[in-house]
Amino acid sequence: MNCSRKEIAANVGFSTIIDPKFKTASLTLRFITKLDSRTAAPNSLGVGTLSASNSRLTTLARLNERLSSLYGAALSTFTRKRGDVQILGLTASWITRRYAFDGENVDSEMLAIIRDCLFAPNVKDGEFDAESFAITKKDLLDRIDSELNNKRGYALSRAAEIAFRGEPAEFSCYGTKEAAAAVTSAEAYEAYKELIRTSRIEIFYIAPEENPEAEEMLRSCISELDRQPQDCVFRSKSPVREKVEEVSDKFDVLQCKMVMNFKSDSDDMAAMKLFSTIFGETPVSKLFMNVREKLSLCYYCACRTVASKGALMVDIGVEYANIDKARDEILRQLDEIRNGNITDEELQSAMMSLDNALTQIGDTPSSYSGWYFERLCDGKMVTPMEQLEIYKNVTKERIIEAAGTLTLDSVYLMLSKEADK
Amino acid sequence: MEKNILTSPVTGDSCIHVKHKSGLDIYICEMPGFSSVEALFGTKYGSVNTMFRMRDDKDYTTVPEGIAHFLEHKLFENEDCDVFELYAKTGACGNAFTSFDKTCYLFSCSKNYQESLKILLDFVQKPYFTKESVDKEQGIIGQEIKMTNDNPEWRVFFNMLRCMYHNHPVKIDIAGTVESIAEIDADLLYKCYYTFYNLNNMVLSVAGNITADEVLAICDECLKPCEDKGLESVFPDEPETIVQSEIYEKQEVGTPIFHIGYKCRPASGEERLRKSMAASVASSLLTDASSEMFRRLLIEGTINSSFGSEVFVGDGFFSVIFSGESADPEKVRDSLCEEVDRIVREGISEKDFQRIRKSAYGLMVRDLNNVESVANLMINAHMEGVSPYDAVNVLSEMKCSDVYEFIRSELCRDRQVLSVIEGTDK
Repeated sequence: MNCSRKEIAANVGFSTIIDPKFKTASLTLRFITKLDSRTAAPNSLGVGTLSASNSRLTTLARLNERLSSLYGAALSTFTRKRGDVQILGLTASWITRRYAFDGENVDSEMLAIIRDCLFAPNVKDGEFDAESFAITKKDLLDRIDSELNNKRGYALSRAAEIAFRGEPAEFSCYGTKEAAAAVTSAEAYEAYKELIRTSRIEIFYIAPEENPEAEEMLRSCISELDRQPQDCVFRSKSPVREKVEEVSDKFDVLQCKMVMNFKSDSDDMAAMKLFSTIFGETPVSKLFMNVREKLSLCYYCACRTVASKGALMVDIGVEYANIDKARDEILRQLDEIRNGNITDEELQSAMMSLDNALTQIGDTPSSYSGWYFERLCDGKMVTPMEQLEIYKNVTKERIIEAAGTLTLDSVYLMLSKEADK
Repeated sequence: MEKNILTSPVTGDSCIHVKHKSGLDIYICEMPGFSSVEALFGTKYGSVNTMFRMRDDKDYTTVPEGIAHFLEHKLFENEDCDVFELYAKTGACGNAFTSFDKTCYLFSCSKNYQESLKILLDFVQKPYFTKESVDKEQGIIGQEIKMTNDNPEWRVFFNMLRCMYHNHPVKIDIAGTVESIAEIDADLLYKCYYTFYNLNNMVLSVAGNITADEVLAICDECLKPCEDKGLESVFPDEPETIVQSEIYEKQEVGTPIFHIGYKCRPASGEERLRKSMAASVASSLLTDASSEMFRRLLIEGTINSSFGSEVFVGDGFFSVIFSGESADPEKVRDSLCEEVDRIVREGISEKDFQRIRKSAYGLMVRDLNNVESVANLMINAHMEGVSPYDAVNVLSEMKCSDVYEFIRSELCRDRQVLSVIEGTDK
């Protein structure tokens, strides 16, 4: 595997990863900008409309017809949140020429489609094509509404909203439904122009063999832009509340959800990751073994770090009658670690689990792209194996210390109707 | 022990199939350049296998709904420890799943695969159930059942199946109900285990950074020979008709969701594969974003981009499902019926057929790019009674008329079900 990154314009990184084992090539371009409630929806719609058509393939039907004739090539756009930052982008993947039975140059065709979507969108009189924009807007509005369809995901989003109130990370990366509904096609196009002018851009091209065409195309298109990139802050620790805040919503559901938000001022992210792994990221973690296996309180109880905000979230699906019992046990298990109750086996299994996950990076194009993009955000370019060495140097004392810095900040409860009884 | 090398004539990929002396079918795919290993050890035993007997049994045994899934949970507990604790020592990420017609135990890892494979083969062959451990699991699975019942995607799917099937156990929830799992005890679990976890009814699939010789040496060491006891699973007679054509349920959802299912005639072996592939191309043609129906529904806002299709197939059941989000699912259903009628009347354009077929081929090539997909491809193909690369061959031989015939004979209005989950405020 060969991996290299170069700046092809101001604050525009182009990373190439060449790995001959793959049968596909992929290109992902990410715009990185500050998450702001005023721009979240227009940005999302601006980038979202890029995958509905372009100036050459002027309808979704034509664009999809072309993609399916290129052996089912995939092209989509995305919006997500990473702490106080909004990340938007376009990603495409396709089987390489070697597997095209009619000898078609799929790579060149796909690069041309990507070029047109990004740099020659379907725009007339300063606004996106009405049909393409309407389809994208309907998708976004439905996506915002449908967040409730996934109860666990909804509870985690609500918990983040509460934990980070007053900070950019409070907002959804899609913006509110009202904001999205109010955006016009012209405003979405303006937002896209602003993004392409001011955001940091990171591009990943991952393929089995070198193809200078990809870099040349992007370098040439970007050189024509009036770039005035602005910096983003990738990590800003969220302040902890003086008193734990509890918020609950009632829904017509059978199972309650609880999310406990903890915050920390620690900068020892490696120790925090090991703590999180031991605490609740694996089937031998303290939360799994005790809250689920020993007490039979739940099907899932797990934790995740939100390193960009110095936070850690624990979530569980639980009976209404067992909420307090579950909360007590989660806090008790945290105290166990704070008091130094970590066995050598627990530490070793956490390390093995991280080793396993890190060694697998590179077996899919998306894992390569995800890993190196996250490291760019961290400002520390390390390989998965270098990261493993960093974890190996973490001592039990550092893990205990990291656990000691966690303070319960807020709790979100999705309550069932049992709560009324 | 004979090693058969199976090769895809289209992509050149290959894997090895071995019928092990223990009775187990083994598939191995060495994938140079990849770091990870994916292994699945599965049995042809899922939620639909509720009635069965062995060759020497006089009577059929009927078991409670959800027992295959319950057994999957309990097999993770050994007499002296939890299996996850063993995997924790090798770093492997272990898991399992129960579907309608199979239960699979799996792990993925990037190091120590040989030790992890020994753990997998060992614990699946070593059941240990007690009253205490069964009682403990009722609470955990009870929560799992409640969680899935709060999931509208799950509800809309099972509501559709209940409207589609009169008798076939595919209509029952994989995990059963809180009431049905209360009937499960250790003796019943042992009965099911010794019936279905016979190596002659099982398959091992391993792909990734491995060598076939190493995998086979571990199999020789760990597999305990089994006598084929002539397992027979029976399913009640299922008429071609549906139970009812519509079902609505209210749940906490932000957007209403729907499933439109067509009950088709079941098939088995290679015929099932051919029919599934034709169904897959047919449903892609109908939901393809370039189709006139899709475009019209999208522009008028009746559907969004989540509209899609799947082919749902197994022992004694076969259906094609169209799903998505819509405030007017009846209009989607009516449009689908009109589009099916139009195709039956006017035929399928050869150009569209070739394009969709090319797209399907591309998706198959992509699957061969991924260790997990390859391991799943091998086990699924075996469970369906075909070879892993048969699908590519079937696709290359498929004709436009095969797809037309599938649409004409199977996508019938009188075998169509609409299932909707709408918001509680509607």
